[in-house]
Amino acid sequence: MIYGFNSFLLLLLAAPIISLLCVKMKKARALPPVLLVIALLTGAATAGVSFWRGDRLSLDLSRLTPLPFALTVDRLSAFFLLLICVVSVPVVLYSASYIERHYEGLRRDGLWILLPAFIASMVLVVTASTGFAFLFGWELMTLLSAGLIMMEGDAGQRRHNIFIYLLMMHVGAAAVVGAFLLFLPHAPGLTFAAMRTVAAQMPQGMRTAIFLLAFLGFGTKAGIVPLHLWLPRAHPIAPSPVSALMSAVMLKTAVYAFVRFGFDFLGTGPAWWGYLVLTAGAVSGVLGVLYALAENDIKRLLAYSSVENIGIIFMAIGAAMVLRAYGAPTLAALAALAALAHAINHALFKSALFLGAGSVSDATHTLNMEELGGLLNRMPVTGVAMLIACCSIIGLPLFNGFVGEWLAFRAFLGGSTLPPITPAIVLPLVAGVLALIGGLAAACFAKLYGVVFLSRPRSEKAEHAHEVPAMMQLGVALPAAACVVIGIFPAIILRPLMTTISELMPGTAMPTQVASITTVLPWLALTVIAVVAAISLVKRTARVTATWACGQPGLDARMQYSGTALSKPLRKVFARVYQPDRAVNISPAGQPYFPEAISYSSVRTTSFERTLYRPAVDAVVAAAHRLRRLQTGNIQVYLLYLFLALVSLLLFMRFL
Amino acid sequence: MRLLLDIVQVALLVALAPLVRGIVARIKARIQNRRGASVWRPYADLRKLFAKEDLVPPTASFVFRLSPVLLFAVTAAAAAFIPVLHASALLGTMGDFILLAYLLAFGRFFLMLGAMDGGGAFGGMGASREALVSTLAEAPLLLALTAVAVVAHIATLAGIVQWTLQQDFFRLSAVHALAVAAVALVAIAETGRIPVDNPTSHLELTMIHEAMVLEYSGPSLALIEWASAIKLNVMIALLIALFAPWGMAAGFTAAGLAIAIVVYALKVVALTVVLAVVESSVAKLRMYMVPDFLGVACALSILAVVFTAVMR
Repeated sequence: MIYGFNSFLLLLLAAPIISLLCVKMKKARALPPVLLVIALLTGAATAGVSFWRGDRLSLDLSRLTPLPFALTVDRLSAFFLLLICVVSVPVVLYSASYIERHYEGLRRDGLWILLPAFIASMVLVVTASTGFAFLFGWELMTLLSAGLIMMEGDAGQRRHNIFIYLLMMHVGAAAVVGAFLLFLPHAPGLTFAAMRTVAAQMPQGMRTAIFLLAFLGFGTKAGIVPLHLWLPRAHPIAPSPVSALMSAVMLKTAVYAFVRFGFDFLGTGPAWWGYLVLTAGAVSGVLGVLYALAENDIKRLLAYSSVENIGIIFMAIGAAMVLRAYGAPTLAALAALAALAHAINHALFKSALFLGAGSVSDATHTLNMEELGGLLNRMPVTGVAMLIACCSIIGLPLFNGFVGEWLAFRAFLGGSTLPPITPAIVLPLVAGVLALIGGLAAACFAKLYGVVFLSRPRSEKAEHAHEVPAMMQLGVALPAAACVVIGIFPAIILRPLMTTISELMPGTAMPTQVASITTVLPWLALTVIAVVAAISLVKRTARVTATWACGQPGLDARMQYSGTALSKPLRKVFARVYQPDRAVNISPAGQPYFPEAISYSSVRTTSFERTLYRPAVDAVVAAAHRLRRLQTGNIQVYLLYLFLALVSLLLFMRFL
Repeated sequence: MRLLLDIVQVALLVALAPLVRGIVARIKARIQNRRGASVWRPYADLRKLFAKEDLVPPTASFVFRLSPVLLFAVTAAAAAFIPVLHASALLGTMGDFILLAYLLAFGRFFLMLGAMDGGGAFGGMGASREALVSTLAEAPLLLALTAVAVVAHIATLAGIVQWTLQQDFFRLSAVHALAVAAVALVAIAETGRIPVDNPTSHLELTMIHEAMVLEYSGPSLALIEWASAIKLNVMIALLIALFAPWGMAAGFTAAGLAIAIVVYALKVVALTVVLAVVESSVAKLRMYMVPDFLGVACALSILAVVFTAVMR
C-alpha cells in the first residue's frame, strides 16, 4: 500500500512540473489533466483501501528537511484524503474542457501549474503528521488558492477581495501557529504522536488556550460566522472549478484539522467548549442560509450556502464535544458521525453545484439569476445533475444531504437522555434550529433552481444557451450520481466512518440509530419508485398549449416572479438580519407619479462589517499611525534602537 | 397478518383521503346554512380530472409533469409511516418522525418547482408564499414531535404510539398539551386551511397553495388534489396517533379491528368538525400575520421541549 501512496505523491508532484514543461508544446496539452486524473485515482484507491481496511501508511522525510517532516495516513486522514481525491477527479475532468474554453496563454498554463499544486497542498494538510509539515501545507494552500483566483484577473474590486482573503487567512494562520507553538515546550519535534501524548498532561488553562486558538484559526478557514467575511468574496471570483475545490474541499481541510485538534489531541474537554462550537455553528447555519437566500448571483449564493453547511458540520462537532463532556460516548460518536458524513456529502453536492454554476456562465455568460431561466430545456444533463444537487443540499430524503442532517437530528434528540438539565434542554432545541435551517435552505434552492433552470428565459443570453461539452457535463454528473447512491445506500460511507470514529474516540460502540436509517432508506426508495412507476404506467395524454394570460396577448418573461420577488416575503420577515440600505431616486424630484427615471438600489453590508470589522480595522490603522512616530528618519535614533534592543536581549538572557 | 394490516392502513389513508375532504366541506356547508355537495364529490372531481388531458405550457420542462407524480408518491409514502388501526405501520417501525417531516418537505419542494415551471406570474407568487409558510412551519413541527419523542424515549412513530397506549389519558403531561397545540397549528398551515390559506379561494392575489397549482390541469391536477387530501388525512391521523391513540387494536381479532375502525372513524369525524368550525368562524389572516401565527406554534413547541427536561 505504501507504494500506492508514494506513487500517488510522486505523480501529484510531477503534475505541476509536467505542466510547466508542457507550456511550449501544443501537442502535449492533454498531458497535465490525464496525469492529474491518474494521480488522483491512485490516491483515491490508496486512501479508499486505507479507509476501509485501516492500513496505516507513513512516510518520513525528516532527513531531507531542517525540521521534522513526516506524513502519516491513519483512518481519519484516509477519509479526508479520499474526499479530496474523489471530489477532485470530476473537477479536473471538468477543468480539462473549461480551462481550454475560457483561458489562453499564460493564464491557462498558470492554472494547470497551480491547480495540481493546490490539490497537493491540501493532500499535505490532511496527511501531515508533524507540525512543520502541516503548517507548510496550510500556508501553501492559502497562497496557491489566492494565485488561482488571480488567474481570473485582479482588477479593481477583485484585488481588494483577494487582499481581504489573504489578510483573513493570515490572521487565522497566526492563530493556528499559536496553537502549535503552545505545544512546543512539551513536544519539541511537534510530531502529532508526541502532541497527542502530552496534551493529556497539560494544565487545563493551556489546553483551553490551545482549543480557542485552534477554533479561531480553523474557524476562519472554515468560514464560521463572524469569520466568514472572506468566503462570499473569494469563492465567487475564482474560476468555477477552483471555486468548487475551495468550497467543497478546502473548507473540509479546516474541519479535518479542527477534528484532529479537538478530538485527537485534546480529547475530552469541558462542556463549554462544545457549547461554544455548537453556538457558532448554529449562528453560521442560520445567518449563512439567510444571506444565501437574499443573493441573486449564483456563485455568491452558493458561497453563503457553504457557510450554512459548515455551520451544520460545526453544530454536529459541538454536539459531539458536549455529549462527550457529559459522558455519553455513543451519542458523541453519533454526532461526530453526522459531522464527517455531512463533510463528504457537502463536498459532493457543492462541487456539483459550483461546477454547474460554471456551466451556466459558460453557456450564458452571466451568473445573475435575474437574466436566466429555462435552462433545463436547453441544458438537460447539467440541469438534471443540478436538480439532484439541489435536492441533496436541502436534505431531502433519498439524497445524501439528508443522511448527515438526520444523524445530527438523532444526536441532538439523544441529548435529552443526559441527566444534567442544561444539555437536556439545549440539545433538543438545537434540533429546531436545524429544522429552521433546512426550511430556509429549501426556499433558497427552490429559488435558485426555479429561477435559473425552470420557466421562461429572462434574457437573450439565456434564450440562446446551449449544453456545454461532454467533459463538463461529466464533471457535474459524477458527483450528482454519487449523491443519489449515498442517499439511498448510506451504509457505504457510514460503516467505515464509524470505525474511524471509534479509533478517534476510544470506547465508542456503533450507535443503534445508524442501523435504522440504513434499512429504511432503501425501502423508502423502493416505495417511492414503485408509486412513481405505477403512475407513469397509466397513460396521461398531454397537449402543449400556451398558459392562460387573462385574455391578454400572452405572457412574457417579465411577468414571471423574479429571484428578488421570490425571496421577498422571507426577507421581509427576517428584515432585522439584513438591514439593507435602500435608496430610491426619482427624477424630476417634484413629480412622484409622472417620473422620467427611477432608480432603486439596495445594498446589504452585513452588520458584522459595520459593528465588528470596521472598528477593528480603524483601530489597527490608528495604532499604525501612532507607531509611525518611531520612524524619525534620523540615523542616531535608529542606532539608539539597536543599542536598546541589544541591551534588553542581554538582560533577558541573563535573567532567563 | 401484521403486514396485511399495515398495507390496509396505507390503502385506507390514501383511498379515503378525498372522503375526509368531502366531509369537511359538507360540515362547513351545514354550519354556513347551506346544503352543500355530497361527501363523495371529491371522488367525482378526481374521476373527471383523470379523464381529461394535461395542458402543458410550451416553455415548461419535464419537471412540470414530474412534480405532481413525485408529490403524490412521497405523500403516499408518508402515509406509510402512521399507525392508524394498530400500533404499527408499514415504514413506521423503522422510520422516525424526522423522516416523515422531511418527506412532506420533499413533496412541497417539487410542487414549488412545478409551480415556477409553469411560466406564469401566479406560480412564482404561490411558490414564494409557500416558501414563507413552510419554512416557518418546519421548526415548530419538528420541535413539537421532538418533545413527544423525548417523553416517550423513542423516535419511531410506532414506538411513540405503543408508549402512549400504555399511558392513562388523564395523566398525560403538559408536554402533550403544548405539543398537540403546536402540531395542530402547524397542521393548519401545512395543509393550507383557514386562517393561513383558503383552499376554496377564487381570488388569485390571496392564494398560496391554489396559486401554485393554477397552471395545472387534468390528471396532473388530480394527483396534486389527491396528494393534498392525503396530506390533510396524514396530519389528522398523526394528531390522533400521537395524542389520542386509545382504541387501537391490540391483536388481530375481528372484534378488536372493528372497534379500532369505528373508534378511529369517530375521532376523524370529531376532528373534521373542529376544523370546519374553525374554518367557518375565523377569517383568513393577512399574509404577514402568518409568521405571528406560526410564532405562537414555535413558542408552544419550545416550551414543550423545555418542559420535557424540567418535568422528568
